[in-house]
Amino acid sequence: MTVKTPVYPFAAIVGQEDMKDALLANVIFQSIGGVLIRGEKGTAKSTTVRALADLLPEREVVKGCIFRCTPSDTRNLCESCRGKIDRNERPETESVRMRVVELPLCATEDRVAGTLDIENAITKGIKKFEPGVLATANGNILYVDEVNLLDDHIVDLLLDAAAMGVNFVEREGISYSHPARFLLVGTMNPEEGDLRPQLLDRFGLVVDVQGEKDSTLRSKVVKRRLAFERDPVAFMQHYEPQQQAIRDRLLVARGIVTDMEPDDQLIDTAVKISLTLDVDGHRSDLTLVKTSLAFAALDGQNKVKREHVMKAARLSLPHRMRRRPFEESRMDFGTIRALIEECYGR
Amino acid sequence: MTILYPFPAVIGQEHAKKALLCALANEDIRTVLILGDPGTGKSVLARSLGSISRGKKVLTIPQNITLDRLLGSIDLETAISTGMVRLAPGILEQGNCQILYADDINLMDEGIVSNLLNISEIEDILLEREGFSHHARTRFLLVATMDPAEGDLSAGQMDRFDLCVTLDKIEDSELRADIIRKRLRFEKFPEEFIREYGPQVIDLEKTLEAARERLPYVSIPEGHADLISSLCLELGVAGQRGDLAVARVAKALAALDGRDNVIFDDIKLAALFALEHRRRDVPDHPPIAPPQKEDETKDNEKETKGEEEGTKNQDPKTGPGSSDRNHQQGHIQGNQQDQQEKDKKNLPTPLPPLPAEQVFGIGSPFVVIQYLNEASRKTTRKQKSGRRTRVISTDHSGHYRSFRLPGEDRYDIAVDATLRAAAPYQQSRERHGLAVSVKKSDIREKIREKKVAHTILFLVDASGSMGVRKRMVAVKGAIFSLLTDAYQKRDRVGLMVFRGADSRLLLPPTQSPELAVWLLQTLPTGGMTPLTKGLADAYDLLTRGKYAAASENKSVVLLTDGRVNVSWKKNGSPYDELTDLARTVAGTGIRFVVVDTEEGYPLLGRARILAGDLEASYFRLEDLCSSQLVGMVQDFVYNIKR
Repeated sequence: MTVKTPVYPFAAIVGQEDMKDALLANVIFQSIGGVLIRGEKGTAKSTTVRALADLLPEREVVKGCIFRCTPSDTRNLCESCRGKIDRNERPETESVRMRVVELPLCATEDRVAGTLDIENAITKGIKKFEPGVLATANGNILYVDEVNLLDDHIVDLLLDAAAMGVNFVEREGISYSHPARFLLVGTMNPEEGDLRPQLLDRFGLVVDVQGEKDSTLRSKVVKRRLAFERDPVAFMQHYEPQQQAIRDRLLVARGIVTDMEPDDQLIDTAVKISLTLDVDGHRSDLTLVKTSLAFAALDGQNKVKREHVMKAARLSLPHRMRRRPFEESRMDFGTIRALIEECYGR
Repeated sequence: MTILYPFPAVIGQEHAKKALLCALANEDIRTVLILGDPGTGKSVLARSLGSISRGKKVLTIPQNITLDRLLGSIDLETAISTGMVRLAPGILEQGNCQILYADDINLMDEGIVSNLLNISEIEDILLEREGFSHHARTRFLLVATMDPAEGDLSAGQMDRFDLCVTLDKIEDSELRADIIRKRLRFEKFPEEFIREYGPQVIDLEKTLEAARERLPYVSIPEGHADLISSLCLELGVAGQRGDLAVARVAKALAALDGRDNVIFDDIKLAALFALEHRRRDVPDHPPIAPPQKEDETKDNEKETKGEEEGTKNQDPKTGPGSSDRNHQQGHIQGNQQDQQEKDKKNLPTPLPPLPAEQVFGIGSPFVVIQYLNEASRKTTRKQKSGRRTRVISTDHSGHYRSFRLPGEDRYDIAVDATLRAAAPYQQSRERHGLAVSVKKSDIREKIREKKVAHTILFLVDASGSMGVRKRMVAVKGAIFSLLTDAYQKRDRVGLMVFRGADSRLLLPPTQSPELAVWLLQTLPTGGMTPLTKGLADAYDLLTRGKYAAASENKSVVLLTDGRVNVSWKKNGSPYDELTDLARTVAGTGIRFVVVDTEEGYPLLGRARILAGDLEASYFRLEDLCSSQLVGMVQDFVYNIKR
């Protein structure tokens, strides 16, 4: 039996609504493409991401599969599971909870991508793939603290896998590929260096967090934290009903979002915005649409309203408004707001 | 069954799709490069080729592939179990008769890229390593993608690509909406989506099949063949690869269209696919005229052509920004002036106003020569993009590039290489119950390569003398180009200016320098020249505080005419102070580059003296420009009259 380290409950985090919403939206609609949280030290970035683990829904996975493939997700299966499904076998499944996999800053390339299994090579003389962090992350949350300090070649590796949903390994005598679909969550302190705009574009949503300015809220943060440290178990029990409420809400929202289709109004708005912002790519359009759907679903609604689009725009667009490294397109968010109001009314 | 986005479901991008179809129709086309901004669908398009290639698989070459997997290496399992030395083929050999796909090729390791491009052309793998040799034939179609804003390939590497297409920006709102809908549907119901496109995929496969059958019978009329060579000559395409590529594509286009004869239009389109990237020194921001009304465009085309001839004859020394003939540039400056007026009204000027203060626009950008490299070249490998310097890492970080016999004091064992070295001896060794017995002589160590960030601080003279004859326009153009260059090489850049009585740090060293452009545009010129103070402050910034430890490589690029007229410590002549300071900071680990902005007569040559005192590299502003701009292929192609 493993001892569970107490984790500060998500429901007890004061304020920081944008950060919480952005994470929840990604949990129910993974292809939004991850969250980057920017903020100074001590703004509950890491606490919030780690707290998320306790809320994550369970999912069906193939029993014994190291990549934890979901049989119904036919696009993303490892070779062995793909073979089973193609042969019309019904692989045995089990229910596991999504979890937060942390990528340490000092991780080496071979540990991230996976490498040659030394033990098998030496004792049995066979070439076997030893899965790395990207394999563990499949179907889970991959959390990178201080993503801006990560080595460039590791970042490229992560983003490649995140973009394709597959980790291709052709190194150290090993040729292997496996599904690597994960929710990428990065945090960074902008004072310690910026991310390149190209990398920013790969993050679905970007949240800028600030320390709480209101003094009553600030003292609330401290009081709760102290209460948690004094007696974590009691504290967690106290918040359990609220935690359960969020879990239920996530389940309902996930159900809603699966059946939702974006209507013309939403798509037209997204297109109008991207044309006005003069973005070349289509990531911003897609992210805006998906995030709006997710926010509506989190509200328990199957119709997207103005406030959902507005919030989705606020989190998905600002980091994409600067198109090229040296082109001037610093647009003010007022333009976007006006466009949304034009389509959805004030 | 792998699930691929169907090729016919890719919306717009007719040129890119056509180019890819040509490559599938004509096997002599071996390499295609797709350029585009992030999120324009480069990867989707490249991988969707697998949906119409009938039996040919798309094999992905990952970013961090190692050489043994690219070219092949000794097969571990066979060697251990039987003692026989066999080859485990690399991906290039496995890719025989298949399609290979390399994403972001401009970020890949130099050695990998050159092997890849070389073998795609010679169709031959010759391997001499680990005590055996191997030879194999391989022929594949290489499809690579890249975002040029992230860095370029060398001209030689570009030339190895038969075709190169840039993805269009889709501005039609209906099409954009359609893209969103299709993508969401594909993500939600992939199988159903693919089924819907089944008939279109089959049609396309039939067209391709027919084109492949027809291809041997397609011929290029004599007159058209001459046209191809004269086109290549006129565009300054070096070598014969361009001519051949145009001919191959033109044939494929005719075959796809069901014709046995190559017509003029085939050649026009083929030239666009095959020659655009072969022009020497493609400018980073090509001066493409914005789409205009019909009649206007015609006029422009004439004008542009005239200019290109003008540009060609232009002395390379007449540098950026100094040519006012270019109407494009005039256009840009016009815009900037509007912008500046706005800025002046709305924003507080960054420095206290001085009399005769002026704000100049940014001169036209250019490709920068490798001005920072000569010192680092001895110790590092040739580099193209990504970070400026790659060094062999001394700890366990960095990318595993190769292996070697271990040194004395440290072991970062390359397990794969060690096992391969040990493998052939296994039959004769005592193995103590293990499958492999490794001896000390087998051990190989990893060579890891790490990229080292440079910090470059641009120190700019913004005093009144820079306003003379609008010199600041050219200077700003140069800074802009240097910043672009630094961004592509992932350097950390900062911008400091000095004028009046003091210096000012406009942009603290950052990896995200787009802010600098805005700062540059609003940067006023005027006042005295406190060069010594500026130099002292720049030195302090890089040697003290948080930037001191920020990176191992630090440079100050000083743009000045070398004149100084403000005393620093008020205890001597400005020039004596400057000389003293320069000699003090020289050789302290920071590299200095002096860019001499002086022009006109008489030349005082102060900057050159300063460069000597600083032990700095010295360039004239105009010398930074790697070459003059060469005209666009489109203009040529669309101007050819039959």
